Amino acid sequence: MNRHELFDIAKGWFASKGWKPYAFQLQAWEAFLQGKNGLLNAPTGSGKTYALWIPIMLDYIKKNPQYKTKHAPGLKAIWVTPLRALSVEIKQAAERAAYDLETGLTVGIRTGDTSSSEKSKQKTKMPDLLVTTPESLQLMLASKGYDTIFKGCAAIIIDEWHELLGTKRGVQTELALSRLKTIAPKLRIWGISATIGNLDQAREVLLGPESEAFQNSTLVKAHIHKKIKVQSIIPEKMDTYPWRGHMGLHLIDEVAKIIKASKTTLVFTNVRAQCEIWFQALLEKYPEFAGDMAMHHGSISRETRQWVEQAVRDEQLKAVICTSSLDLGVDFAPVETVIQIGGPKSVARFLQRAGRSGHRPGQQSVIYFLATHAIELVEASALKRAVKETVVEDRIPYLNSWDVLVQYLVTLAVSDGFYPSEIYKEVKSTFCYQAMTEENWTWVLNFITKGSQSLEAYDEYKKVDIESDGLFKVNSRSVALRHRMQMGTIVGDAVMNVKFLGGGYIGSIEESFASKLYPGDVFIFAGRKLELYRTKNMEVLVRRANPSAKAQHASWMGSRMTLSSQMSELLRQELYAANAHARSPELHALAPLFARQRKESIVPDADEFLIETFKTREGYHALFYPFEGRFVHEALASLMAYRISLLSPITFSLAYNDYGFELLSDTEIDIQQVLDNNLFTPEHLHHDLQKSLNATEIARRKFRDISVIAGLVFSGYPGRIIKTKHLQSGSQLIFEVFRDYEPDNLLLQQAYRETFEHQLEEGRLIEALERIQNQQIVWKPCEKPTPFSFPIITDRLRERLSTETLAERIKKMTASYMK
Amino acid sequence: MTLEIEINGQTFVLHNSGALYWVGKKMLLISDAHLGKISHFRKHGSALPAKAIFMNFSRLDELVAYFVPEKICFLGDLFHSALNKEWHFFEEWVARTALPIILIAGNHDIVSPQKYEELHIPIVSEWLLDGFLLTHFPEEREGAFTFSGHIHPSVMLTGQGRQFLKLPCFFRSREQMILPAFGEFTGTSVMELKPDDVAYVITKEEVIKISKAL
Repeated sequence: MNRHELFDIAKGWFASKGWKPYAFQLQAWEAFLQGKNGLLNAPTGSGKTYALWIPIMLDYIKKNPQYKTKHAPGLKAIWVTPLRALSVEIKQAAERAAYDLETGLTVGIRTGDTSSSEKSKQKTKMPDLLVTTPESLQLMLASKGYDTIFKGCAAIIIDEWHELLGTKRGVQTELALSRLKTIAPKLRIWGISATIGNLDQAREVLLGPESEAFQNSTLVKAHIHKKIKVQSIIPEKMDTYPWRGHMGLHLIDEVAKIIKASKTTLVFTNVRAQCEIWFQALLEKYPEFAGDMAMHHGSISRETRQWVEQAVRDEQLKAVICTSSLDLGVDFAPVETVIQIGGPKSVARFLQRAGRSGHRPGQQSVIYFLATHAIELVEASALKRAVKETVVEDRIPYLNSWDVLVQYLVTLAVSDGFYPSEIYKEVKSTFCYQAMTEENWTWVLNFITKGSQSLEAYDEYKKVDIESDGLFKVNSRSVALRHRMQMGTIVGDAVMNVKFLGGGYIGSIEESFASKLYPGDVFIFAGRKLELYRTKNMEVLVRRANPSAKAQHASWMGSRMTLSSQMSELLRQELYAANAHARSPELHALAPLFARQRKESIVPDADEFLIETFKTREGYHALFYPFEGRFVHEALASLMAYRISLLSPITFSLAYNDYGFELLSDTEIDIQQVLDNNLFTPEHLHHDLQKSLNATEIARRKFRDISVIAGLVFSGYPGRIIKTKHLQSGSQLIFEVFRDYEPDNLLLQQAYRETFEHQLEEGRLIEALERIQNQQIVWKPCEKPTPFSFPIITDRLRERLSTETLAERIKKMTASYMK
Repeated sequence: MTLEIEINGQTFVLHNSGALYWVGKKMLLISDAHLGKISHFRKHGSALPAKAIFMNFSRLDELVAYFVPEKICFLGDLFHSALNKEWHFFEEWVARTALPIILIAGNHDIVSPQKYEELHIPIVSEWLLDGFLLTHFPEEREGAFTFSGHIHPSVMLTGQGRQFLKLPCFFRSREQMILPAFGEFTGTSVMELKPDDVAYVITKEEVIKISKAL
């Protein structure tokens, strides 16, 4: 069959549905059938599944002309999705087309939710299309004889590649692809990505720099423009607007009004605790919402989440309070309105959420933005501009992630074993490890075989063995078992399952929260008031609490988000506009706050850099406002604290938000000395930053994830009770042992490097310092905290830096302790 | 490096390694050494630095050289888990120390008693000596002052400018003193300091007394 005939089959099916293929779909079909790899840039709900599933089927039809009567067995294609929740939808869409075209092609799912009996069934008879996640794909590489499963595979699709790209799951995917390229020579690799700033790089990372696959690839773009309308929720009276806080409940009546006026509304919150609190507050104030409103976040049981998703599709719900758990994929046609509570921190995320509404063609997407505290309204104003000017961020891929490589190599050793010479070439061909040296590679091999770089007679380290023919293999069953349980690169706090006494799984809460509860304590979780009966093993047993009981909300540590550089740029521009005459409604509404700010201090102009100092009961505060986003401020704060502490021994407590940072100390700092010594200089930045990082805990926190991924920490398997008590240890302790005894360990080094490359974004830091160099520094000694400073000084998540001796500090502290 | 205190008429020296020396009995008390922990992790595929293994033994040597005790009593959790090759280093240490050693069994002490017998180390569940109770698990018993371990105590100090410090300590309440963990690579648990309590925090250089009472 030639391409025309094949296309006619597909077009005929489209026509039977009353559809017409989009230009981007035709382009993708064509490129795929030409044997090309590629990246498809298309938003959710645009028909991207059929842009690639159709040509996979057409390719099969071409190779098997008697496809209607004779089914060729074996896996033909893999569809990788970052979210398990999306797999069902993809399966249904793929099955519909496969059935209508009478291809006889089967679709199967393999994720963490797939039962082991289903998995072993798949092992003997693979479906034609396998829908899976990066973690489950990796697990398949850990099973014996995996190469025979994949060898005939003709296509792999990485869906939502933009979500994976800037994460270690992305690195995991790069490694899996490097292996599949070898064992499945006919494999075509396609990624699907929403619009991000670095689409070309996204394709390069997916296919491997300078690889054959990359040479033979193309970028297909869906030119779908959606109208998005951003509307800020501004109260009539501004004087009640809080200066800080992150709940936003003061606008609950406005939110209720919007929910009532719309058919289905999604209310996006930034964190799970906020989601729980909003759900509860709405129910309490508007009991009529009961039954019409649901909650959706990552810690709620899968059954409940799936029920909520289906109920939205069936138009049974008026509102869903959710977190990023509903960001991706799932197509909700009935959603009319979206409300974003609190700053979304990234333009891309905001656009994605906005795109959740008005899925019907030609419809406009409406998103309401609710600023949780006053200054966040500036963000709202900036977001509007971002939407108008379609600014989007880059997703920065990881480089040299030794932790993921360690895990991957042990994975290969667990299944069939590997020969380093063969695997080295594959690993080196990936984007992440393109700069890996032979020494690095040897180090990693030594690490997994000897647990160190030299072999000692007394040592009993056991993980990967080297067999006589040079094969690297795991022979210990317990090592293999622990590794399989530990795989995956998503690291969270240890979680405990919440269950009713009489059975019934509700969801999971973090161990750190559970450990603070005592029997009889009442807490709100998954929208219910629950009373703790007892915690046992990894389970939290509860019963329904008295509805009138006083309850606390479950809390999650979850990392905080930061403004992207594009977003901070817009934010600065908006803020500098505060002194101008023509202002957005948001800035207009903020007038009373600006007036208050000007009373004590100033609202800086574009050429001004503001520093405020004041004293409170807590100590001496110094506030700096670069408006560069949390991560840059985190770095700047430790940099400045370090440089100031060189002038004389001092101890600082550091806090930061997206607008500025604070140095808090028990003695006054002389800002004039900071200015005279030119402490904002970009010179010696790298050196000073490194020194300051050693003095703070940032790298220590990074190391936590690395130690879990590299298999140094065995945390057990969530919800499963295994005798590992003597193997449990906090990553903190492990960090200290490495720091004290093996400071040149590559994994420890990686913790420091990642804080530079990912967390601190050194490049952005230099730009920020250069900008400050050209600004006029305005130092305002104030009588009391200003509106700008308030959200920062009340933040309790803090970093510390000290150049005083421990004895000196203890002496001062004991003095205050005894007061 | 040390701090001398008196309890019920007896003199004790607190050492910043976490060990306690009973002057009258010329006896060294050490709790929660958790020997073999690093090796246990390594044996199970967690590649902790092998160098850290030797630190416990060199610190033990330094202690013996400093106090020149006549006997040593371990207040439990001497060996972290099942037998591994670190036991040989322990055997060597016992041989070169050549002192009577007593082990008060802790919850981690699962190595066969026979192995201790070979080294002439008796294992007891507790030891009542001249009005002092030596035990692994903290306990207040009438008519005795208790020395125990198990908890790995530390205290959190707070100060101006939102400062705080977490430091391991000897934790003393009215009738009992809980020793800090001696071993490398052991965590701590934060204790609440009540008005009657005293914490002797240990740093790399010294032992410092902290209490709420004036």
